Amino acid sequence: MDKVAWWKPPLLLDGAMGSLLFDMGLERGQAPESWVFEHPQRVEQAHRLYVEAGSDIIQSNTFGATPSKLAAAGMAGQSALVNRTAIEIARRVATAGTIVAGNIGPTGLLFPPMGTATEEMLLSEFRLQAEALAGAGADFINIETMYDVREALCAVHAAHATGLPVFASMTFEKTKRGYFTMVGDRVSHSLAALYDAGADVVGFNCSVTPTIMLSMLQEARPVCTCPIIAQPNAGNPQPTPTGVKYDAVPVTFAKDLVALLDAGASVIGGCCGTTPEFIREIRQLLDLRA
Amino acid sequence: MSDKSAMLEDMYTAILDGDADVARQLAERALEAGMSPLETIDEGFVPGIHEVGRLWEEGEYFLPELVTAAEALKAAMAIILPALGDSDRAQGKGRVLIGTVGGDIHDIGITLVGTMLVAHGFEVTNLGADVPTAQFVERARELDADIVCASALLTTTMLGLGELAEALARAGLRARLLVGGAPVSNAWAEQIGAHGYADNAVSAIKVAEQLIGG
Repeated sequence: MDKVAWWKPPLLLDGAMGSLLFDMGLERGQAPESWVFEHPQRVEQAHRLYVEAGSDIIQSNTFGATPSKLAAAGMAGQSALVNRTAIEIARRVATAGTIVAGNIGPTGLLFPPMGTATEEMLLSEFRLQAEALAGAGADFINIETMYDVREALCAVHAAHATGLPVFASMTFEKTKRGYFTMVGDRVSHSLAALYDAGADVVGFNCSVTPTIMLSMLQEARPVCTCPIIAQPNAGNPQPTPTGVKYDAVPVTFAKDLVALLDAGASVIGGCCGTTPEFIREIRQLLDLRA
Repeated sequence: MSDKSAMLEDMYTAILDGDADVARQLAERALEAGMSPLETIDEGFVPGIHEVGRLWEEGEYFLPELVTAAEALKAAMAIILPALGDSDRAQGKGRVLIGTVGGDIHDIGITLVGTMLVAHGFEVTNLGADVPTAQFVERARELDADIVCASALLTTTMLGLGELAEALARAGLRARLLVGGAPVSNAWAEQIGAHGYADNAVSAIKVAEQLIGG
């Protein structure tokens, strides 16, 4: 990463995108990606809120923009256009120093024995998405929320082939025997495999609180020689009559994220439940340290 | 060890190994040897799936192991169910309608639960993934279901469970609602008015049995 001009860690990502769009009127069952066509100005506004809050990096609204996931949401054949348009929207908001990440999430297709996905299938999904993101001017590809290292590796290979830097995060949960993905991939093994496949920055996002992510980071640190990215959820989800609220408050969350930097992370940000308010608090703490 | 207890032990191991071929062959051999179908289920295959549930809770087994174990159980049940006599069937525990709520495209969890419910004597109708609320209600009425078992896997789709609880209550159906899925918690289940909550397939069976008993 040292040859990349914008690589000046610590770098601050944005927070959750989907929940902001729900607040702006996205309906349940509607794909967030559909808004790059239907309400580009609202997607633009969501990015703007994060830029104003102090994010160094904003991420395109393309988490579910692989061909098969879009097809399941009634948007078959639109993957390349969705990804291009989403980068263009993010670019409109980016200030001189803002880094624009092309975001890639899981396809939802599962490998055997859970499903019938093959490596060829997933490689072609991710190639199409990564090439569209890169072609539209993404500064790097950010792969997130992967739960099967086999799928994550397909995404990393496809993203790496674009020539852009690649960040790759997986989502691990706590079990009685340590941290694993839902298919049983271990933290150290997974992150090492992503790095070996060409990811420049590897790490964790979603599923857990900052405190749990800190202990994952401590487990990974001795085996990871590359920079680490960490994006925890805003605490634990709590049920409310209208949905889920996360229980962390921005001030505490910000301190916990700084602790992740101190433990060796180079890139931090928020996943589910985080808002521009969370990012603003982290920015303030980072500015105090600078 | 007698032939029978060796065979029951093999059934247990076939489920633990997730070996559908061996499970099917064992079921066939047991029936040919005159073993009671219920005994193969209750003392062979089902203890295996309970051990799988325990290993999952211990962090030893993960989704792939759960799926292959359920497939092995399903293969055995396909042989054994037709051999169950009328008297055995008469002790069926109840009718369960099962599915994931609208927007959720994965049916792994409910298929696991469905297979295990069948092995535990429930009559199961699996609506699969992405089931609209209205369809749940309509089928629950048609079947006069004892239990509607629904899951949501995403924080964005879990609201569908609340919608389902309301719709079942509004329709005045007697079916008890059992909910589960990654983002769902006991507190949430209580809040939306569900009658039961389970965080894994083994506990889903226990809760279903309680709901029928109560």
